[in-house]
Amino acid sequence: MRQLRAFAIRLRGLFRSRRCDADFAAELESHVALHTDDGIRAGLSPQEARRQALIRLGGAEQTRQVYRERRTLPWLEDLFNDLRYGLRIMVRNPSFTAVAVLTLAIGIGATTTAFTWINGVLLHPLGGVADPSRLVVLESVTPNGEWVPNSYPDFIDFRDRLKLLDGIAVTRPSALSVGREDHADRVWGELVSGNFFDVLGVKPEVGRLFLPAEFADAPGKFPILVISDRYWRSHFAADPSIVGKTIPINQHELTVVGVAAPSFHGSLPVTAFDLWIPYMEQPALNSVQEWMLRDRHNRNMLGIARMKQGVTIDQARGELKALADRMAIANADVSEGMSATLLPLWKSPHGPQGLLVGPLRILMGVCILVLLIVCANVANLLLARATVREKEFTARLALGAGRARLARQVLTESLLLTGSGAALGLIVTPWMSHALKYLMPPGPMQQLVAMDTRPNLSVLGFAAGICILAALAAGLVPALQVGRLNLSARLNAGGRSGTAGRGRNRLRSVLVGSEVALALVTLVGAGLFARGFQTTMRIDPGFDPNHVLLSQFYLNTNGYNLAQRKEFCRRLAERMQSAPGVTDVAYSDGVPLGFEPSWWEELKIEGYAPRPNENMSVFRNVISPGYLPLMHIPIVEGRNFTEQDNEDEKSPAVMIVNQAFVRRFFAGRDPIGTRIHGWGSWFRVVGVAKDSKYHYLGESTPAYFYVPFRQIYREDMNLAFYVRTQREPDSVLSTLRAQVRGLDPNVTVFDAAPLKEFIGASLYPQKVAASLMTVLGSIALLLAAVGLYSVMAYSVVQRTQEIGVRMALGAQPGHVLRMVIGQGLALTASGLIAGAVLAIGLARAVASVSFTNSAMGSSAKLLGAGANNPLIYLAAAGFLCAIATLACWLPARRAASIDPMQALRME
Amino acid sequence: MGEKTDVWQGTLALMVLRTLETLGPLHGYGLARRIEQTSGDLLQLNYGTLYPALLKLEQEGFIRSRWGASENNRRAKFYELTKAGHRQLQKAAAEWEQTTEILARFLAPAHEA
Repeated sequence: MRQLRAFAIRLRGLFRSRRCDADFAAELESHVALHTDDGIRAGLSPQEARRQALIRLGGAEQTRQVYRERRTLPWLEDLFNDLRYGLRIMVRNPSFTAVAVLTLAIGIGATTTAFTWINGVLLHPLGGVADPSRLVVLESVTPNGEWVPNSYPDFIDFRDRLKLLDGIAVTRPSALSVGREDHADRVWGELVSGNFFDVLGVKPEVGRLFLPAEFADAPGKFPILVISDRYWRSHFAADPSIVGKTIPINQHELTVVGVAAPSFHGSLPVTAFDLWIPYMEQPALNSVQEWMLRDRHNRNMLGIARMKQGVTIDQARGELKALADRMAIANADVSEGMSATLLPLWKSPHGPQGLLVGPLRILMGVCILVLLIVCANVANLLLARATVREKEFTARLALGAGRARLARQVLTESLLLTGSGAALGLIVTPWMSHALKYLMPPGPMQQLVAMDTRPNLSVLGFAAGICILAALAAGLVPALQVGRLNLSARLNAGGRSGTAGRGRNRLRSVLVGSEVALALVTLVGAGLFARGFQTTMRIDPGFDPNHVLLSQFYLNTNGYNLAQRKEFCRRLAERMQSAPGVTDVAYSDGVPLGFEPSWWEELKIEGYAPRPNENMSVFRNVISPGYLPLMHIPIVEGRNFTEQDNEDEKSPAVMIVNQAFVRRFFAGRDPIGTRIHGWGSWFRVVGVAKDSKYHYLGESTPAYFYVPFRQIYREDMNLAFYVRTQREPDSVLSTLRAQVRGLDPNVTVFDAAPLKEFIGASLYPQKVAASLMTVLGSIALLLAAVGLYSVMAYSVVQRTQEIGVRMALGAQPGHVLRMVIGQGLALTASGLIAGAVLAIGLARAVASVSFTNSAMGSSAKLLGAGANNPLIYLAAAGFLCAIATLACWLPARRAASIDPMQALRME
Repeated sequence: MGEKTDVWQGTLALMVLRTLETLGPLHGYGLARRIEQTSGDLLQLNYGTLYPALLKLEQEGFIRSRWGASENNRRAKFYELTKAGHRQLQKAAAEWEQTTEILARFLAPAHEA
C-alpha cells in the first residue's frame, strides 16, 4: 500500500520536475547556510566554514542526482526519453517508417481481425447470456449418427426428466413479417419455448421477458413477444412506452412485453435475431396445425441447454443419452434407433459458425505466418539501419552508456514501430471484421450475420500482446547486435562504413531465407486450397443449376393458409410459364445443395423386409410436376408427376424414387407400381429418377424420393420457386416481382438468387479457405519480395567498392550481374528447401481440418485429396524463384553499371 | 571502536523517525546533527544521503514537510512525523528490538554451554 502511494507520487514527480528541482536546490542551499553558520560560530572563517559544509554534504551534484532518482522513476524517465528519441528518428526517416508501420499494420490488422472473428464465433459465441460456459447445444442423433433438430414432444420429455440440466429450451429461427399488409417488413426472429430467456439467463433492457406462467405448452395462449434492443432502437426510436403495445406479426396482433438486453442477439452464434415469440403461437402465426406441435416426427427445434453447476458435459450427455435411448424404445414407431447428444456451443452445426470453424482456424494460422514475414522484414530493416547507426552507438558506448541501455533503446524503437502499426491495424480492424458477412453464402444467412465488431477488451489485449511479441521478434536481433559491437574496432575504422561484419550479413540472409520459406508455405497453401476447391467444383451435381432463378417465399408471413399457399404457387407458375424468356417453372419444399437441414420420412416398403434396427427414414423432397424437367434430372423409368397427380388430393398418392433407392430396396425387382407407406397413407411408385446430389457435392448418393407438392405439402414446409430462363436468371427477376404483385400486392418479401450461387453454399468453406489463402498468399509474396529486394540492394551498395575493384581488374558487367543474382538465388534456394519441408508438414496437419457442409453435422475435409500434389509445390517454388530473380536483378543491374573509378573514389 | 561507523541500510529511516518523535519538527541539517549527537558522535552521516531518505519517508506518508524559519532566522524546510509515521515507528522499533535481542543471544559469551 505504502509502496503504491510512493509510486504514485514518484509518477507525478515526472511531470513537475522543474518546480521540485528548484525546491530541493533551495533546501540544499538552506542546509549549507545553516551548516556554515555553525562553522562560523565554532570559529572558522566564512569561506572555510562553507567549504567544510559542502564536503560534509558529499557533493551537491551527486546529492541532487540521488535525490532525483528517488523523487521520480528513472526507468520511466528513460523510457520517455527513448520514446521521444525514437519518434524523432521515425519522423526523420519517413520512408523507412512508412514501410515498417504499414507492413506491421497489415500483419497486425489481419491477425487481429482473425482473432476478432474467432473470439466472436468460437470463444464468446453468445452475448448477453449468463455463464455461457454452462450452455450446451442439444441435438437429436439419427441411427446413422447424423445430428438433427428436436421435436417439441421430445423436448418436453427432456425438459421434464433430466436432472443434471438446469433447463432446456428449444428455438426455431423463422422469417416473420412485421407490419400490416402491403407495407410489411421481413424480420428474422426465433419461435422459442417459454423458458428460453430463463435458460439462457438473459436480462430485459425494458419491460420483462417471458414469465414462468408463460412457459406452459398451451397453443395460442401467449400472444406476446420480446424484441431486440437493435430493433427497438431502429424501429421504435428506443421508446420505452412500446412495452404493452401490440404490433402485427404475420398479420396477427402480438403484445410487446419487453426489450432484451443490448448484447443479446439470440441463440445462434454470430447471428442477430430481432424478435422472440413463444413457439406456442406457431399455429396462429404460421397456420401450423396443433397436432403438428405434438408430432414427434416434426423435428425442427434447435435445442439449447444449461448444465447444472459442477456437472461436466460428459455426465450430462450420459444422462441425456440414457433417456433418449429409453424414449427411442417407448416411441419406436417414430424414433426407433434415435438418440440425442450435447455439444459445446461452438460445435453447433446450425448457423454460420458451422461453416466458419474450419476456415477460421486456418485463417488464424496463415495470419500468424504473414505476421512472421512482416516481423522478419522489419527486423531486416532495423538491422540495415543499425549498420548505419553503428557510429552513433559506438560513440555512445565510448561515452559510457551501458550496452543494456542501448539495447533497450533499440527495443523501445521497435516497440514504437509495432505500436504504431498495431494502432493503425486496430483502426481498420472493425471494417475488416464486417467482411465476415462476405464469407457467408448469399441468402438469409448472410443477412443474419452480425457480429460485435467494436474492439472489445480481449481483442485489444490480443492486439497488445501481438504488438509486443512482434516488437520482440523484430527488435531482438538488432538489439543483440548492439550488445556485440566491438568498440575499439569500430572507432579505429574511422570514417569508413560499409564493411559491416560477416556475422550481420549472415543474419540478414537467414532472415530473408526464412521469409522465402514462409512465403512458400502460404503459396503452397493457397494452391492446395484452390485445387481442392476446383476438384469439388468439378463434381457433377446431377442436375443443371445454370440459368435458374431461385426464389424463396414466406407466405405464412402473409397469413396464408395451406390451400391459399398451394393456390398461390399454382397461379404464379401459370403466369410465369407464359412470361417471355422463361422455359420452365417449378416449386418445391427443399432446395438441393442448400445449406439447410433436409427432411425425411419413415417408410414401409411393400415386399421389403427391413433388417432389425434398420433405419427406414429416407430423405425426400416435395415437388411440383415441373421440378425434375426443370432441373434436367432425367426419369430413367416410368413417368414423371403430372398435373393430374397434382390437381386432386383424392387422386391416388404417387411417388418417384431415385436409382439409389431402387438399388437399396428393390434389388432386382421392378419398382414401378410398388406401394410404399409414409405420412399415414400408401403411395404408388410411378417413376425412377436419375441420382443427383442432394445435400453436398462430396456425398455418396443416398436413397431419395419425391412426392407431389399438392398431395403432401404441409404448413411447416418451405416454399422454393424456380424459374429456368434462356438468358441470365436475374433477367426475369423484375417479371417475377411484377407477377407476384399482380397475384397479391401484399407478398412483398421474398429472397431471390441464381440457383447456381445458392447451391454454392455447400462449397463455401472451401471457397472461403481458397480465397483467403490466395489473398494472404499474395501479401506474403509481396512482403518476401520486398525483403529480398532490400537485402540485395543493400548488399550491393555495401559492396560498391569491392565491385569497383573487381571491374577495375577486368571483371565484365556480365560477371558482376551473375555473381549478384547467383547469391540472391542461393539465398532463395535455401529458403525454398526449408519452406518445402515446413509446407509438407503443415499440409499434413491441415488435411485433417474439416468443415460442416450441411446442417446435419456431417463434415468434409477442407483440403480434399492431394495434400501432397507435387505440381503445386513446384509451381509455388518456381514462382518464388522468378520473383527472387527479379528482386535481385534490379540491384544487380545497378552493380554492373558501376563506373570503377567512381566506386573506388567512394568515401 | 575507534573509527566512526557508516549508517546501516534501513536504520537511518528508523533514526529519523525516532528523532522526529522526541524532538518534534526539525530541518534536515538539524536532524543530521541530532542523529550524530545521539549516537555519541560514533556515527558520521554523509549529509547528502539524508535527503533521499527523507524524500522516501515523505513519499510513503510517514513524515511531512513545510517551509519555516530556523532558530537563527534562516528559511529552512521542516520535517515532522505524521500519524502513520508514529505507527510505523512503533512497528519498526519493535522489529528492531527483536532483531537485536536475537543477535545478542548469538553473540553473548557461551558460559551456559
